Amino acid sequence: MSAEPIVILDHVTAGYGQRAVLRDLCLQLPRGSFTALLGGNGSGKTTLLKTMAGLLPPLAGTVTYRPVDGQPPVIGYVPQREALDPLFLLSGFEVALMGTYGRVRPGRRVPAHECEFVWQCLRLTGADGFATQPFTQLSGGQKQRVLIARALASRPRLMLLDEPIAGIDQPAVETIMDTLSTLHREWGLTVVLVTHNLAAVRPYVDRVLVLRRGALYEGTRQDLAAPEKLARLFDFSLE
Amino acid sequence: MQTLIEIFSPDFLLRNSVYASLLAGLACPLVGIWLVLRRLVFLGVALPQIASAGVAFALSVHVWMGHLDVSHGEEQRALAFIGSVGFTVLAILWLAWLERRGRGLGEGRLGTAYVLATAISILLLAKCPVAERGWLNLLKGEIIAISNPDLVLTGIAMATVLVMLWRFHKEFLLVSFDRELAVTLGRNVGGWDLLLFGLIGSTVAVAVLSVGPLIAFGFLLIPPLIARHFARSMRQLALGASLLGGITALAGFVLAYCWDLPVGPTDVALLGVIYALTAAAKGLIAGRTVPN
Repeated sequence: MSAEPIVILDHVTAGYGQRAVLRDLCLQLPRGSFTALLGGNGSGKTTLLKTMAGLLPPLAGTVTYRPVDGQPPVIGYVPQREALDPLFLLSGFEVALMGTYGRVRPGRRVPAHECEFVWQCLRLTGADGFATQPFTQLSGGQKQRVLIARALASRPRLMLLDEPIAGIDQPAVETIMDTLSTLHREWGLTVVLVTHNLAAVRPYVDRVLVLRRGALYEGTRQDLAAPEKLARLFDFSLE
Repeated sequence: MQTLIEIFSPDFLLRNSVYASLLAGLACPLVGIWLVLRRLVFLGVALPQIASAGVAFALSVHVWMGHLDVSHGEEQRALAFIGSVGFTVLAILWLAWLERRGRGLGEGRLGTAYVLATAISILLLAKCPVAERGWLNLLKGEIIAISNPDLVLTGIAMATVLVMLWRFHKEFLLVSFDRELAVTLGRNVGGWDLLLFGLIGSTVAVAVLSVGPLIAFGFLLIPPLIARHFARSMRQLALGASLLGGITALAGFVLAYCWDLPVGPTDVALLGVIYALTAAAKGLIAGRTVPN
């Protein structure tokens, strides 16, 4: 893994409107790392993820993206499943296809080779078998796999996932984490995922960030090897 | 059948009204789908009222400037068009700006816009009875006096809107379904929103003038809501809503013609009946498919 950072947060204050949720954070996210972002409810995990994704402009400080192969890194963002409105009558494939829209000029149809690439992404995440079904009728784990395929379809260098394993049964959690781990290894993706569940992600991630009371704690490999210390410090469940 | 043949005969006196009604029935639901999907039904209520207030304003200003006769068809309709489009576009820009600031309650803003537009119309027309006559002629929803130029203008405006909606469907879908993804893909979300709302506003402004606010609102919202009961994809939703709007517009016109009723309320009442029947049918189907 290279230690070169892909995103640098320099004294960032982040929040909504004029209300700061996180203050004066500094962070360098190493390229090729696989990071779990942990914290209790309301600790600011999603705020930090959205700030890294460029969805929330920082109230103070700067967020810098280091170029990858001479280009600013494409960000694959996977939102919380509940954020997507069930009124839209879209199949899993149509949802995943949106990942290509950044490369297709406005007013143009998505070309056939891009559609084929989306099917490849769906196969990679194991979502090809149910991608023609209505997105709203898929289970939580199936939706998550479609959304990960959609993020992959944008050909990202940095993947940011908001609570990808929340509310999903154990076999589906393992499938999703296996998929992310494979993508991290084989595609060289930098991955950051928000979760409450350290136990589920510990075998996969190589880095942990913990938010508590507005402060950011960067965990080490030793912390991951002995998660009881983290759990004790930050009130996590290891069940 | 005899009535249908009569209505579509080239000599039929109200021929343009049939075509205008059909245009509104086919086109308004395709625009209204976006109001329903973006949960902006209140906007569909408020915009026709704002367009009506614009018409009242334009006619009143015209009278206050010394032109005491607003009964000249062409001049009156040109003024009404300017008022309708002007007020609608300004309202869309104002609402979009407030939405972008992200403060306050969206539904509250739309509700306020609706009652303010109604109050402004009543106040303006109370002080200007001459303008009130012209306003009533234009907006009471009987759509019996549509000239050839009006019909052509309505057709061109609706066709332009539909071509734009079809061409940029992908972009409108992206910013409506997942704004965050659109931002990370580098799309100008505010710009696409503005274009979509501009197209919705233009349709409302033109439809209000051609067929009145009642039919405009009815066709914007009820056909998409009915079609959603049975559609399985966005394409089915669009085709179903548009076809339903077109058929209802024609059937409503025939009923109104046969029974000597105003067309606008007849169309909307017919849509209401279809909505109730389809909701009941869907309930029955759902009840039968529940496993024991």
